[in-house]
Amino acid sequence: MIRIEPVTWKLMVQHARDTYPNECCGAMLGKTDGGLKVVRVGVPMKNAHEGSQAAMYVLRNEDLLAADAEARKRGLDLIGIYHSHPDCDAYFSETDLKNSCPWYSFVVISIKQGEFDHANSWLPDPDQTKADREELDYGEADG
Amino acid sequence: MAKLMIPTPLRQYADGRDTVEVEASTVGEALEKLTSRHADLRRHLFSDEGKLRSFVNVYMNDEDIRYLDRDKTTVAEGDTISIVPSIAGGRYVS
Repeated sequence: MIRIEPVTWKLMVQHARDTYPNECCGAMLGKTDGGLKVVRVGVPMKNAHEGSQAAMYVLRNEDLLAADAEARKRGLDLIGIYHSHPDCDAYFSETDLKNSCPWYSFVVISIKQGEFDHANSWLPDPDQTKADREELDYGEADG
Repeated sequence: MAKLMIPTPLRQYADGRDTVEVEASTVGEALEKLTSRHADLRRHLFSDEGKLRSFVNVYMNDEDIRYLDRDKTTVAEGDTISIVPSIAGGRYVS
């Protein structure tokens, strides 16, 4: 299960709203305690995709490297990645799957007509053939 | 000694360590020593053919080794080697 602290969640949703109708992306820092991951900090990142960003995002490796360094400095861990799906559901698409990494939780935020609709978290497998849904708790603050 | 930075989800395969130090003269040798010492890490970093998995990038300090000398990139005392995944995606259905 992955739990996102309400203030952090609010900022993540705001990021998704601000970039609408384009996709946003970022990293999630927090701690893992047994089977529970708790996200304390969202790190908004630049969508580096060079074409239309309405349906695609690319994270820069350098930004991930910096997020990992920031996590270590703060005594936290890089535990997940988030991005938005403008005007569609928070499924894990073929594009998401083929460009994923099985080490992290992937939170997808559905933004419809500029407003938060729903979200899901996914755990891709090592062969990038499927992603299992992970229980996601983001409290009551929906932005 | 070179310091390898272990990503959080892989630390469980490295005795819980967030860094591992190895004596190595190249990045390739450092990764070989890392995965010899912590054998369970190998399948997460390398394919069955022994190549780095498609989503795995290796950085020496702040530079991608693809733009240096790849696995032959020379490692000096105090250098830091980081393992960084490639990540992208989107709602687009190909």
